[in-house]
Amino acid sequence: MGDKKITVTVVVNGTPTEVETNVKAALHSLVSKALEQSGSAGQSTDGWELRIGDLPADLSGKPEDYGLEDGATVFLNLKAGVGG
Amino acid sequence: MQATDPCVSRVKFERELGEFVAQRQHHEARGWFLVEAAFPLVFLIAAGAQPRLLLFGLLLDYTDYDAQPPSVKFVDPFTREPYTAARLPIPPLLRARPPQHVGIPGLPAPSQAPQDPQPLLQAHSPDDVIFLCLPGVREYHDQPGHSGDVWDRHRANGAGRLSTLISIIHKYGVEPVSLQVEMRPQLSIVASNAPL
Repeated sequence: MGDKKITVTVVVNGTPTEVETNVKAALHSLVSKALEQSGSAGQSTDGWELRIGDLPADLSGKPEDYGLEDGATVFLNLKAGVGG
Repeated sequence: MQATDPCVSRVKFERELGEFVAQRQHHEARGWFLVEAAFPLVFLIAAGAQPRLLLFGLLLDYTDYDAQPPSVKFVDPFTREPYTAARLPIPPLLRARPPQHVGIPGLPAPSQAPQDPQPLLQAHSPDDVIFLCLPGVREYHDQPGHSGDVWDRHRANGAGRLSTLISIIHKYGVEPVSLQVEMRPQLSIVASNAPL
């Protein structure tokens, strides 16, 4: 039996996109898919911050580690670039 | 100055605003409140969570957007007067930096030297208006020192988007803020009613 799949709404820089993911897949893949679907394909995931329940998430973690359920909303935003 | 077709700027302004409003509940739970929005201006206020305190106002100007990035000003939430460095009521959005590797002759391995946090809010003097020193912000790209880092390099990747700006300002300017109360009891001897 395959692992459970869920659909998560990822709000990328303010724009929501729905992404299907496996609860046991690393969050890296969720972020990569969200970037691809939102027209930001090819960007390194290192420059982005994923927040689940308003806390920054470790992208090597899995959706199930964060209790992500089907229909959940998470937020993906660009990190602060080099400034100053 | 508005050089772009105003219709284009207005449509993109409405998109930014619409995305904020669609996630309004999320933003308000984090302490971000939309006070006013009329092209080309958006006025937001930011509040801290613990304790619940009004921290600052944020005035964004989308004139000529997105041929130019939005202007972002930290302002007094009551008067909308831009803050100078001396009057800024919060720390200047400090971002930690990794330690620097320093090779010292005579030592077998490079040692690590800690670096001071980098302020994302900067000014040239205490009486100057502060600006957010970040790609995607008009004031950053207008600085002569950043003439080599043009807006077009950042426009497509999401820099300067309202959601991104709020996310970064929240991380460095709202989340780390807490209230510190200093109690300094003072004793002095005073006379009550003067006797006849």
